[in-house]
Amino acid sequence: MPMRLDPQRGEVIDRERSFTFGWNGRPFPAYSGDTIASALSAGGVRVFSRSFKYHRPRGLLTASYLDPGCLLQVGNEPNVRGAHRLVEAGMDVRSQDTWPSLSFDVKAANELARRALPAGFYYKTFMSPGWLWPTYERVLERFAHGGVVGAGPEIDGRGGRYDKRHAHPDVLVAGGGPAGMACAVAAARAGASVMLVEEEQELGGHLRWGGSADLAALGEMRGLVETTAGIEVLTDAVVLGRYDDNWVSVLHRGLPDVEERLVKARAKTLVVAPGLIERPYVFAGNDVPGVMLSTAVRRLVNLYAVRPGHRAVVLTANAAGDAAAVDLERVGVDVVCVEDARSGGDVVVVHGRGRVRSVELGSGRRVDCDLVVTATGWTAPVSLLTMAGDVPRYDPKGARFRSDLSGLPPDVLATGGIAGDGTLEQLVAHGEATGQKAARRAADIATTRRATAPPSADGTATVQPGAVVQIPHLPVDAHPELFRGRTHGIVDFSEDVSSKDLFTAVAEGYSSAELAKRYTTATMGPAQGKLETVNVVAVVAEATGRTIAETGTTTWRPPYAPVTLGALAGRQREPVRYSPMQSWHERHGAVPLVAGAWVRPDHYGDPVGEARAVRRGVGVIDVSPIGKLDLRGPDVSRLLNLVYVNKWSKLEVGRVRYGVMCGEDGVVIDDGVVGRLGDEHYLMSTTSSGAAAVWAWLESWLQTEHPQWGVHVTPVTTSYASINVAGPASRELLSRVVDDVDLGSEAFPYMHVRTGRVAGVDGCVLWRIGFTGELSFELHVPAGFGTHVWETLLERGRDLQVRAFGVEAQRILRLEKGHLIVGQDTDGLTRAYGAALDGLVKLDKDDFAGLPELTWQHERRDGPRLVGLRTTDQALVPAEGSQLVDENGRICGRVTSSRMSPTLGRSVCLAQVEPAHAEPGSEVTVRLVDGGTAGGVVTEHLAQVDPEGVRLRG
Amino acid sequence: MVESGSPVARSPIAPTSPEAVVAGWAVSGRRSVAAQTLTDQSPLTKVAVKASWDGAMAETLGVRFGRSARRSFDVEAAAGKVLMTGSGPGEWMALAAPVMQAAVVDWLEKSAAGADELVTVVDLTHGRALVRLTGASSRDLLAKECAIDLDDAAFPDARALRSAVAGVATDLVRDDQDGVPSYLLHCERSSGQYLFDSLLDAGREFGAETDGFVPPGI
Repeated sequence: MPMRLDPQRGEVIDRERSFTFGWNGRPFPAYSGDTIASALSAGGVRVFSRSFKYHRPRGLLTASYLDPGCLLQVGNEPNVRGAHRLVEAGMDVRSQDTWPSLSFDVKAANELARRALPAGFYYKTFMSPGWLWPTYERVLERFAHGGVVGAGPEIDGRGGRYDKRHAHPDVLVAGGGPAGMACAVAAARAGASVMLVEEEQELGGHLRWGGSADLAALGEMRGLVETTAGIEVLTDAVVLGRYDDNWVSVLHRGLPDVEERLVKARAKTLVVAPGLIERPYVFAGNDVPGVMLSTAVRRLVNLYAVRPGHRAVVLTANAAGDAAAVDLERVGVDVVCVEDARSGGDVVVVHGRGRVRSVELGSGRRVDCDLVVTATGWTAPVSLLTMAGDVPRYDPKGARFRSDLSGLPPDVLATGGIAGDGTLEQLVAHGEATGQKAARRAADIATTRRATAPPSADGTATVQPGAVVQIPHLPVDAHPELFRGRTHGIVDFSEDVSSKDLFTAVAEGYSSAELAKRYTTATMGPAQGKLETVNVVAVVAEATGRTIAETGTTTWRPPYAPVTLGALAGRQREPVRYSPMQSWHERHGAVPLVAGAWVRPDHYGDPVGEARAVRRGVGVIDVSPIGKLDLRGPDVSRLLNLVYVNKWSKLEVGRVRYGVMCGEDGVVIDDGVVGRLGDEHYLMSTTSSGAAAVWAWLESWLQTEHPQWGVHVTPVTTSYASINVAGPASRELLSRVVDDVDLGSEAFPYMHVRTGRVAGVDGCVLWRIGFTGELSFELHVPAGFGTHVWETLLERGRDLQVRAFGVEAQRILRLEKGHLIVGQDTDGLTRAYGAALDGLVKLDKDDFAGLPELTWQHERRDGPRLVGLRTTDQALVPAEGSQLVDENGRICGRVTSSRMSPTLGRSVCLAQVEPAHAEPGSEVTVRLVDGGTAGGVVTEHLAQVDPEGVRLRG
Repeated sequence: MVESGSPVARSPIAPTSPEAVVAGWAVSGRRSVAAQTLTDQSPLTKVAVKASWDGAMAETLGVRFGRSARRSFDVEAAAGKVLMTGSGPGEWMALAAPVMQAAVVDWLEKSAAGADELVTVVDLTHGRALVRLTGASSRDLLAKECAIDLDDAAFPDARALRSAVAGVATDLVRDDQDGVPSYLLHCERSSGQYLFDSLLDAGREFGAETDGFVPPGI
């Protein structure tokens, strides 16, 4: 490690733990605690990447997360922040988007054509001809910057890498520098629960790379954070955004089991304490490897014990630059020149390509060196404050944009460098007062929330509201306004945008900062403006002849820092619902059908055979997803009369009736049956997908329109395993497992309900209904016994060739019988008469949902109608959704359901057609999906098998 | 193998091996000593009550919305304890030892007899999946799947709420066990396996393990 220094006081590396990792295929040594960049720098590497557009060599600029010159490929993971990510043993690190190598990159030829690639080149060149765009796209793809997303098992097999969690701190402090730590401690001492979020791997901010006094203060403050109860510290984490009601998103990285975690925090108060970000200086050659910010130098020296160079020139306009010069001299770097910008010092041009070779100073003197350090100003990262409504104003005294803290919402505060400058003591005092105030405000908010919460939500206050906390004023130090020097240089290091590009943009009319940004893409790269926005504004101001204040800033929006899609997606939680018999279905080869959240057996390999088994003998189908609502009370029949189109007052105990529900617009919303189990006890079934909506529909009527009605609705869909036993032999099969219910056709006729014991299980409900058109019984058994009853039926019916059948066989059978499916044979406009429910709708009822609309429809006889349809080519099964057209070629309807009927040996269909074509015998043309046509004839009945219902009532 | 004479009830959550039969339910017989455990308690008796939120039955039950408390019952069929929860406005859920449905329903219906209002008692034992999450990390684990503030100050022991957990409508009851944070979660039976798997997955970083079912005395 040629550039590794002797141990430094504040170093974060562990010299006892060394290992090697790979850099572009070569092994490199490192210490635990090194970042990738610090380890490579210690090994003498100065070039880490190539720039976005011109593929110029790039080295370290900030030596922090924001460093634009150090985005690397680590294994299958692209765009890793090499100056932030800690290096690990065996890590495979590579440079990105270089060919054939980092040191010799053919795409650097772009720079030779620099004059032909000005700002806006992309927009101007690839606009026309439009038909060439696909070709352009393929070529441009090859120039897309960034790494490669891996596709091997390393990525695919690690589905648990990202997740989320929720948090509800009283106070969330964004920034763990001295003011942030003081704020967190003060808030916690005041009784608040605190979440302290720090972007670096350790708390401390600038104290970490400071002198002995800073390090002593750092140790003391970290100790306080550690020993103060109520502070949750998230390091290597960053606040991404602040939204309404202080919904704050935090990205937490580098966890042991999780690559990244999105923390969704609902903070009562948010304290923004991100410190200040050092700003690069714009001059010719400012992107040559070896030109660094003063904070980068201090980080390398003091945190990682890395010598940034051998011979340095320092341009300083502030204490940080002075301190960097001192640090360099202390570790033996030859500081050949300190240019003090406060007294007119300047650097004009850096010479070199792969590394700094010399620099021309403002005086005209040329100095040979390999390191140029700049300390020319600070940017206040006001993003989170602007997300809370702040509009920052330019302060020429401090040479940075600042926020008006008095104008922030009550639940947002700020402390530290973003609030002002000052000594460490002043910053800590400001942080402490802000923490106390944040805790008080959190308590006030909690008090307000409790006052508006239901009586039972009487959680105890953790902080008692108290006297108003006065926050001391932080001064703003005078700082020279240094943005661009005498030459043009790079403004946006991520996007390779120079100050000359910005001048060009302004000359072409893009004279506002917002337009120049979009035209040049300045501030739109991975650093997202934190390094470059103020310089962009300053250059645009210079180019337009306006002041910086007049030019204003661009808009900061979430996210504050880049976030991976993996973190946003988190763990995939997609609720699924299983029947009690699911494991049986899986063991017996059921092909799953996902219906809403339910997973159902579509078939067991032979749906046609399953349908035939039902017509000829007996089959069982798992219909557990059918919605079931337990209705009790003296006014249930009034409710049923209100929500169904037919009559319910005379439904006797032991009887079952079919009903259809309509919305107030007369549109069919659900159907099902209701059985009366007792005087004031009913069981309602709904469609599988409609159960929740029907429950809400009933509760809506009961709670808002008829609160005086005595009705209680309890969802019991999953209380029962539901099994339909269908086929001519269903009674015979059932008689073998039911011993306390007379199953005879007279004792238990069609559309009746009984309760009894099935296969030894008490509390079962038996309905004599069926969707298949066959003699059938629907069993509802306590769900825990579902598999037992199911297996018993199959066991006892073996000699009857009983067979399990799935949803597909059921669909064939019901279509043969002409039973409609709400949502398939109806749509969002189908009113009851359009669903061929003429006989069911009772317009003479006093009232029911949809009555006025249905009365109108009945009078007008308008709208499409549901009909049975058979194709003239009996072997043809038109696709569902196929259009129907009349003799003039005009669309007059569509096929809603279609299958090949194994019973009839021909296709059967249901269709929606205009009234003029709905009469039996009407002929229409079916447009097929392959472009052909076929003849279709409207049938007399919807049912094409057993229209008289003889089998059903058997 | 069909045992029509002695049907065994099955939870919606597949029992972790070894499987055992307890109180007529197939359950996991696994015993975990992990600090963070997840137990399928679906065999517990679960009876829902609906009545006016401020009527006589509410007073008889003595548990307000969002709270839970233990109550004793003694009817002809049996005596025992229930964990009564105010699960919604005018809604309660009584949890009791397995196979106590008839006794609990009987007790509640008799309790309702004196109330001059509509009271509904429905056995939901088979309709709800019930799991218990126990351990010091329970709150952190739930914070991964539930957006509600479960801090001690906001959601102390003996409180109850209904929210989405892993995207499923779930009733959550804080029911600490000997001072160790513990939560009962119940949802519609059909989502039980999904909820259980989601919690176990979320609990990996906390070392969460499945623990077998032991009938509680409530």
